[in-house]
Amino acid sequence: MKKIFNIRVILLFLALTMQISCSKYLELIPPNGLIREEFWKTKEDVDAVLMGAYQSFASMDGLLFTYGEARGDMVKADPSFQWGNEYKLMQSNIFPDNGLCSWERFYKVINYCNEVIQNAPEVKNIDDTFTDFQLKGYMAEAYYLRSLSYFYLVRIFKDVPLILTPSENDGANFYPPQTKGEDVLAAMMKDLDACRPFATDGYKTLQEIKGRATKASIDALQADISLWNFDYEGCIRYADKILPPLNKLFALLPSDRLFEIYYPGNSLEGIFEFQFDNKYNQLNSTYGMTSRYAYQYLPSQRAVELLSFKLGVEKKRGENVSIAMVSVDNYVIWKYAGMVPDGKTERSGIFTNSCNWIVYRLADIYLMKAEALSQLSRFDEAGIILNQIRDRAEVAPLSVGKSVTAYEDAILDERAIELSFEGKRWFDLLRMGRRNNYSRKTKLVEILITNVISTQKRILSAKLTNPLGWYLPVAKDELERNLNLVQNPYYNY
Amino acid sequence: MKNIKKTIILILALCSFSGAFSQTKTIIRGKVIDQKDKSAVIGATVVESDKENRVVNGTVTDIDGNFVYQMKNPVNSMKVTVIGYQTKVFKANPLKAVVIELVSSDIELDQVVITGKVKSDNSLTNIDDRDRAGSSTKVDLMDMKDGGITSAADALQGKVAGLDIISASGDPGSGSQIVIRGLSSIGNNKPLIVIDGITQDNVPSSFDLSSSDAQDIGNMINIALQDIKSIEVLKDAASTAVYGSKGADGVLLIETNRGKMGKVQFDYTFKTSINFQPKSIPMLNGDEYVTLQLEEWHNARGVFDLPREIAYDKDFPDFYNYSANSDWLGAITRNAVTNDHYFKVSGGGEKTRYFTSFSYVDEGGTTINTSNKTFSTRVNLDYFLSKKLTFTVQFNYYNAKREGNMEINNRNIRQMAYMKAPNMSIMEHDANGNLTGEYFTRNFDKTGNYQGDGISFYNPVAVANLGKSDEAVNSLENSFKLKYTLKDWLIFKETASFQYSGSKANKFLPYSAIGSNWYDPSVNKAEEGNSLFSSFKTESQLVFYAPFKTKDHELTGATSWSTNQSTNDWVDMQSNRNPSIKIQDPAIGAQINWMGSTLVEKSDVGALLNLNYKYKDRYMVQATARADGNSSFGSTNRWGLFKGVGVAWRFSSEKFFENSKNWLSESKLRLSWGTSGRAPGDDPQYPRFASYQTTNPGSYIQNAAVVPTSIQLDNLKWENIMSTDVGLELNLLKDRLYIEGDIYNKLTSDLLFKNYNIPLSSGFSQLVYMNGGELSNKGWEFMMNGKIIRKKDVVLSVDFNISQNVNAFTKLPQNFNNEKDRTIGNGVFPKRIVEGEPIGSFFGFRYKGVYASDADAIAFDAAGNKLYDGAHNPIPMTFNGVYTFKGGDSKYEDINHDGKIDLNDVVYIGDSNPSFIGGFGTSLRYKQFDISFQLHYRVGFDIINSTALSTEGMNDRNNQSKAVLNRWRVQGQNETGMLPRAYMDNPANNLGSDRYVERGDFLRLNNVNLKYQLSPAMCTKLNLQSASLTLSARKLYTFTNYSGQDPEISADASDPFWIGEDKANTPPPKMVTVSFSVGF
Repeated sequence: MKKIFNIRVILLFLALTMQISCSKYLELIPPNGLIREEFWKTKEDVDAVLMGAYQSFASMDGLLFTYGEARGDMVKADPSFQWGNEYKLMQSNIFPDNGLCSWERFYKVINYCNEVIQNAPEVKNIDDTFTDFQLKGYMAEAYYLRSLSYFYLVRIFKDVPLILTPSENDGANFYPPQTKGEDVLAAMMKDLDACRPFATDGYKTLQEIKGRATKASIDALQADISLWNFDYEGCIRYADKILPPLNKLFALLPSDRLFEIYYPGNSLEGIFEFQFDNKYNQLNSTYGMTSRYAYQYLPSQRAVELLSFKLGVEKKRGENVSIAMVSVDNYVIWKYAGMVPDGKTERSGIFTNSCNWIVYRLADIYLMKAEALSQLSRFDEAGIILNQIRDRAEVAPLSVGKSVTAYEDAILDERAIELSFEGKRWFDLLRMGRRNNYSRKTKLVEILITNVISTQKRILSAKLTNPLGWYLPVAKDELERNLNLVQNPYYNY
Repeated sequence: MKNIKKTIILILALCSFSGAFSQTKTIIRGKVIDQKDKSAVIGATVVESDKENRVVNGTVTDIDGNFVYQMKNPVNSMKVTVIGYQTKVFKANPLKAVVIELVSSDIELDQVVITGKVKSDNSLTNIDDRDRAGSSTKVDLMDMKDGGITSAADALQGKVAGLDIISASGDPGSGSQIVIRGLSSIGNNKPLIVIDGITQDNVPSSFDLSSSDAQDIGNMINIALQDIKSIEVLKDAASTAVYGSKGADGVLLIETNRGKMGKVQFDYTFKTSINFQPKSIPMLNGDEYVTLQLEEWHNARGVFDLPREIAYDKDFPDFYNYSANSDWLGAITRNAVTNDHYFKVSGGGEKTRYFTSFSYVDEGGTTINTSNKTFSTRVNLDYFLSKKLTFTVQFNYYNAKREGNMEINNRNIRQMAYMKAPNMSIMEHDANGNLTGEYFTRNFDKTGNYQGDGISFYNPVAVANLGKSDEAVNSLENSFKLKYTLKDWLIFKETASFQYSGSKANKFLPYSAIGSNWYDPSVNKAEEGNSLFSSFKTESQLVFYAPFKTKDHELTGATSWSTNQSTNDWVDMQSNRNPSIKIQDPAIGAQINWMGSTLVEKSDVGALLNLNYKYKDRYMVQATARADGNSSFGSTNRWGLFKGVGVAWRFSSEKFFENSKNWLSESKLRLSWGTSGRAPGDDPQYPRFASYQTTNPGSYIQNAAVVPTSIQLDNLKWENIMSTDVGLELNLLKDRLYIEGDIYNKLTSDLLFKNYNIPLSSGFSQLVYMNGGELSNKGWEFMMNGKIIRKKDVVLSVDFNISQNVNAFTKLPQNFNNEKDRTIGNGVFPKRIVEGEPIGSFFGFRYKGVYASDADAIAFDAAGNKLYDGAHNPIPMTFNGVYTFKGGDSKYEDINHDGKIDLNDVVYIGDSNPSFIGGFGTSLRYKQFDISFQLHYRVGFDIINSTALSTEGMNDRNNQSKAVLNRWRVQGQNETGMLPRAYMDNPANNLGSDRYVERGDFLRLNNVNLKYQLSPAMCTKLNLQSASLTLSARKLYTFTNYSGQDPEISADASDPFWIGEDKANTPPPKMVTVSFSVGF
């Protein structure tokens, strides 16, 4: 009898032990792989996601080239490239199913930045080695990348959803409506003003000084946004923070060292450049889009007219720096493919895909300031800056008629030459077309339809007087996924 | 014979007991003899039992039948047991040697008639089978094991109403898909399999995801078919609620054979089958093919420089290689043989019963180089230690070696054989027409071939013979069960079970099969994948009976607690450019191309309470509640509560039916309601976590870069399935006729949508899972079973079943993007989910025949008037504004009459869900002969005939079927049934349209059996227990109008946009089997 009792006890014990620690039994986390629960514990985690944002943004260089150049007048498509989405964009033959209408990659960067902005302060509470100074520095970088991302979005799409919190879980609102572009930029300016004091200039390596957000890169972005918003005083104010005499960190390179801006890059003139290094498998796309055998983008007729030796104007920054002649009357873009300003030596080996994507450099800021000054009718000051840039390029000084329009055209042309193929042209034209209540939109439309095939020219020149046609539509897929979005009315037909 | 028997008895007996010592001095002596011939019984067990009938100790008789035994307690009783004899209790007398005479138990064994309550030992509830209020069907497999069936799924096909079984493919080991009462979920439709009470939730995770559709339920039943005693199908939620979330798609309860008390019995069965491939679709021969190609080129381009391969150019070095008449399909098809050996030993005494079996099946496939060899063994041991304590040990081992063919660029060799140009020869000729002894392949170093590069358009015979894609599976299951009766009304049961399964897959494709250089990265590629699965399950159960004194009330119930923990470990390696075709292992010195591994752990727990009340054997109420916890969910939604209530009324026991015994016997009406749930599937693993991964290239400047890659799912919850069922069971005419009918309604809510698209502005493109929407399945079932003649020598029975299921998405989630793919073009069907339409609906154009002439290809308005442009010319019909239709082109219905065939003209064109499924059959026993046949039908469903799509398009260089011989050739030609013109690269002649949507209705003669059983008298003469010879045929004939090869198309519900496409898999072969079985 006693034995039986023992068995009973053992059995009951067995049954009971299985019932304890049930919640622990069900709490299984992936044995391999990194999950949120294990993440956001140290400042290194913050650093890693921030770097992920930089790297993802950098990997968009080809896209930034396309958005900044395709609809402008400085590039043309190689004949074998005349079928893809890029070509349709050049032709203003744009439908919402064009893959270039997807804003996915910008919002990926924005989400990474939002992750940093939300989680970094919490990490500081856990990681004792994480100083307040470091935290604010990281946050400033995240604000910078997010603002830059939104600035591109507003210039490409006009109104976009403004998302300032990370998509951390499925409870997040995935269906926001669009916010007016002005309001998006106003929010960004506020962020940038607030974070600028904490941005560091003290990175250890040259690549980091040029490749990560510094006070100067924030100033440059703010000058650019101000100019886009036609806040000329603001633009001058922000530009002056970078320009000498106030700031001595940057200088224009002498004319015979001009190509150093592109090779090896990270020159004294560079303010913010997305870094590429073939050695670490960090490959750019621009080489593959512009090199001799890329069969994608070529310099347009107008670009050749402006830059080639034929006209004999541009001695330093034209042929063999911006473009190169590979055979008679056959030109390629040289900034991303060349290693030497001889028009012959192409990038090779570990340098092949290493050319940085320059977001801001000093000449750009100078010309921004000149544009702002001229719009305020401060023509003399604008003229000095304009000729300073020309002087550096060993081009004869210009004497521009003292009118806003004359200066506007002169600066636009100067920017076309100085910043050719750097993803600036389309946005410069757009700024011109929008200015003073679209008073010069015919000039923009003229340029737009130079790319268009002859049968479509008449129709499009009429249609594109609607400024909404200068922006891209919301991608069809996105519109179907988010019913709160409103399509750009230009594309509602 | 007798010697063998004695030796085995001796061995068994010796194994059972060892010597014992004791302090008390009661020593008894005796001799055990056979009552009949008075010969000594060797190895008989002499045991001492206490008053609880628990064995205290014992001994065995020696070679002369003598024993000596020292008793522990003189009050205890003594008995002698031995296999083959009746147990005898005797009184211990320490003073005198006893002689015990044993009576043989053979005769008695034959007379055992099972009466009274049947209670499935498998079940977690405590209800008699006859009292069940839920909907379930039991199929006895004992009669079917000698037939030509190859798997358990095969045996069930067409047998159970509401159970839809479709063979995945006819290739050996590819198994079947099982759906109970319609698709209730998007993917994950898998009934739970329970073998002897142990749930089988090992989903073999294939290392190669592309072939995962072949992984299915059929493979999960890793036991020999002959070991299965019966399969019971639980259909409604009230029955499956016992298994909680695991039983959401129904449950298959499998019971294996166990040892019976009696003499040791040996059985051996040998089956041999010949598998015939059904006739394939007739394809063009080389000459017809070349003519077609010439016509395609001419129609498309007019006068054109002909490719040399079809130009009959004698100077072309490959002239002989391109002037063959190859039958590619014939070359990869064969008749195969399957051999099946099965041996079992069973028997047992009062205390121990055993059943052990060995099975070896060597199955040949009808596609060359496909086979499946399986070896399995099972041991079931039951120990009855005392009246109160019983334990059971089960052991099952399974080994399979599967040989298959490589699939290259998603084309299996059968698909390739359909499209391969028949003017190309299988073996290579040199310029003079002599065979070189190599396969004719062309790739990089040479010119490729007429159809394209040598990888996409490979030589299927070469790839089948030279390449390999093999898989080996080893699985082991061990379980231990204990049953202890605490009180008369309370029983405790404990089960612990361990499962282990490992699989290893090897693939190798030598360069010679493709005609490439060895350093080409796509060849000489060795791949090895290993996966290990292990799980540990426990279950503690208390079963109780209510202490009512009166017989009118009966209350029973059970409560149980179960845990389940499993681990899946997976490693895959790939190397390429192996320097030799002899190096087929990625681990040997080659360049590693890719490596990957995962380790996944899962666990769940369940608590169950079940109560059953019965009043006067007439009114029954059964209630079940089960709480399931699953590690897939976050802490807030981790527990799901599932419940079921069933009521039944056995009206036949009512007084007013007392006088109806002549025509009405036990019959009942039942009503049930229940809920069930479903957790997310196995892929991807750990979906609820936000994961972080390094970017590609993983760094910015020289700092590591990490980004989030998925969104954390806090709202992930159980998919909820609610089902109601009304059923009627009737036994009529003295049990001659059994009728069962059911009506059910099943509603799945909070559907688990996998990879749910969200706006890209979130920074992501998908949620791994999202709950939303509703899917409904409504239907009815009818089953009939008649025993028409029940005489001693003649037994004739018929059975029939039919069921209908109507499936529809009743609600879609908010923001649901109902168009997954809006591409239109040749061979493409736009994919949509539409509220109100069933899962697996087809959308496409309506095909209206062929334009007889150019003038006919114009647009009409809704009233049928011609449409004119400004210049009063008829508006020509165009495809998407890009291509203008001409005479001989396909004509599609212009739904919106805009003169353009585009996405707006896409309409619903079919549905892959069958309206009716079922089967019927009959069996006749006349004296020693048994004849039976079974038919299976599936009607009212559509198939996208992808084989026709690719063999009747006439717009590329693929071979086409003989149907294209009737094609449009000249202006004005207008014949019924005529196909469009041949036109190379025509953009619109072959759009996804109802031209390729066909009714798949079929009626198939699944099984025909003819069996001869040796009469008992003969058996005795030959000293045998039984002997039989069976001749059977499987899938002998199919009645169908479907023009493809086989209308049995597996429904892969994992992609709700795409179900029911005939992809030219190997169809199930016809099989003729001879089997011989003997027991002694």
